[in-house]
Amino acid sequence: MTFDLYLIIGSLPKMFEGIGLTLQLLFLSAFIGLILAVILLLMRLSLRWYLSIPAFLYTYVFRGTPMLIQIFVIYYGLPQFKSIQQSVLWPILREPFGCMVIALSLNTGAYVAEILRGGVLGVDKGLHEAGKALALTTSQRFIYITAPIAVRITLPAYSNDVIGLLKATALASTVTLMDVTGVARTIVAKTFAPYEIFISAAIIYLVLTWLIQTGFGLFEKRMSRYVKQ
Amino acid sequence: MSALSGWWGVLFWGTVVTLKVFGVALLLTVAFGLLGATAKLSKNRIAVALANFYTVVFRGTPELLVLLIVYYGSAVTLTSIAQSINPAVKFLDIPPFWAGALGISLVVGSYVTETFRGAFLGVDPGHVEAARALGLSNLQTFIHIRIPQMWRLALPAFGNNMFSVVKDTALVSLLGLEEVVFAADVARSVTLKPFATYSVVAMIYLAITTVLTLSVMALEKYANRHLEGAR
Amino acid sequence: MDDTRQRPIILLENVCKFFGDFQAVKNVSLAIYQGQKVVICGPSGSGKSTLIRCVNRLEKHDSGHIIVDGIDLDDSTRNINEVRKKVGMVFQQFNLFPHLTVIQNLMLAPRLARKSSKVEAREIAMQYLERVHIPEQANKWPIQLSGGQQQRVAIARALCMKPQIMLFDEPTSALDPEMINEVLDVMVELAKEGMTMIVVSHEMGFARSVADLIVFMDFGEIVESNPPEEFFQNPRSERTKLFLNQIL
Repeated sequence: MTFDLYLIIGSLPKMFEGIGLTLQLLFLSAFIGLILAVILLLMRLSLRWYLSIPAFLYTYVFRGTPMLIQIFVIYYGLPQFKSIQQSVLWPILREPFGCMVIALSLNTGAYVAEILRGGVLGVDKGLHEAGKALALTTSQRFIYITAPIAVRITLPAYSNDVIGLLKATALASTVTLMDVTGVARTIVAKTFAPYEIFISAAIIYLVLTWLIQTGFGLFEKRMSRYVKQ
Repeated sequence: MSALSGWWGVLFWGTVVTLKVFGVALLLTVAFGLLGATAKLSKNRIAVALANFYTVVFRGTPELLVLLIVYYGSAVTLTSIAQSINPAVKFLDIPPFWAGALGISLVVGSYVTETFRGAFLGVDPGHVEAARALGLSNLQTFIHIRIPQMWRLALPAFGNNMFSVVKDTALVSLLGLEEVVFAADVARSVTLKPFATYSVVAMIYLAITTVLTLSVMALEKYANRHLEGAR
Repeated sequence: MDDTRQRPIILLENVCKFFGDFQAVKNVSLAIYQGQKVVICGPSGSGKSTLIRCVNRLEKHDSGHIIVDGIDLDDSTRNINEVRKKVGMVFQQFNLFPHLTVIQNLMLAPRLARKSSKVEAREIAMQYLERVHIPEQANKWPIQLSGGQQQRVAIARALCMKPQIMLFDEPTSALDPEMINEVLDVMVELAKEGMTMIVVSHEMGFARSVADLIVFMDFGEIVESNPPEEFFQNPRSERTKLFLNQIL
């Protein structure tokens, strides 16, 4: 088995273009997913059953089914309906990029909602009581006491989720998108050199993972400066 | 649902294949996880380094990519080896079933390594000392004291890991394995009802994960039964 | 005697509290007047913490009335918040907000609940930090302070809301012995300034020197309540005598 270095170097430019798409998918989905997660969290924590139960079901479905299926339902399934074709969302849903972002956001939203919920539950009960005793309202307690502490608690789990999101972007290649994996598969199909190309792709993902972890590590350090070490 | 009439049989058998992949992958995952965890906790520096390399690489690489490397890589290698022996061979591969199961277990195994490592560290060292003091060998201590205790601690996180194995089985369809997603792809191209078809597959997976969740909850109760009376 | 002295500032009438089947507070009635210092003592599980936590609605009483400065405590949020502004609480575990500095801890409630401006809140905060003798700790994180300092900050934090009544739930029980006195000294000063105080505590020395009334609770009931000299010299009930023997 030979290891064709020239092949790798020659493919690098195309692979780097793939990185652009991968990162776009990552940042967009992470951002939208986070907003969705906060909404889901508030719904889940609500005492009103018509809010908390749908939120629970949503989370259950999206965490209990494969990402691939979620993508297929949105990419292949939704265009089936005339009502979708005529709706405002059509320009987005028609494109694989739009479908991918939606699928990723919906998925990560469910996971992050659970992570945030764990964080909120992890805030010391005594701190809530202190907030109550000081006559703070429920929303004041949530914004000034619960949320900041929950964010710090959930940072490690959230960074893991972002890395999971990065890995999920690779599925974009199944709907014709040219992200890192998509580019790699195309090159391999032409050159029959799976080891060189796929391993290079893996290295790119590993570098991105390392960057994400380091970034979060720094952020965690800053947020933990008031915590016992 | 009537759109899928006639396809239920195909979907059923596809699900059976999916479950088989899940079973095999789960066993391999536990094997890799145990191997990795014991390596990480051992005193042998090479073992620790290898285990670290394993977890870093496989936790940072997309599952899809791993499956592609395992399947296409092994196919290329096997084909070239076979061709050097018998030039008439055009293509030799590991069946997608095994490539898929191996790929999944390599990836989830790296997460399980961490799960098991944490659980092993949670086992009370006093218990291990007591076992040694009573004359049990290292292997006996490992089997009778450390593993049972570790299981209890690992269960919640391991339940999540099992979830990953289930969901990753869908990716094996991309290697051409005729499991449930593959069956759905065929069904959809004929019935032209992708939404219904894939929704049904989603529900099949939901059913599997629900059974899994309930099993884990029951197992957790069982594993913790000796702690129930505590105040 | 003038009118305000005659009307109790806190009136508990036949208060009962259940946790499931367990009755933690059995028909407790107590009248507390402005400026009074009341120490509630008793064995663990006697319901004393539960009782004072009902006064600021951290626990909901199941029957009876709790009237704080004329406000009958019920489920109405407005009433609850009004009461909580008049009643300050100091917890056994301090419960300082770990993600805020000392001064931020003190400023939070006045700014949010009393709508004070940042400048006003800061002035009040520094004033009370001086009162508890640790103004130099203003910009530290709670984690950087000793237990005794943290509890004093907690007292200052409650005082920043200018309450009429201060509740103390075993304020020194979680402190190392050498730090108990610094907190008790602050409480004694507070008492001398005329604050109405209800203190759940085992610190009998404090009770003897500061309390106007000592209330002994056991199994959810008030067994005996008397001024300190009577309480310590002439305990009437057997249970009280038993308790005093155990702790003195």
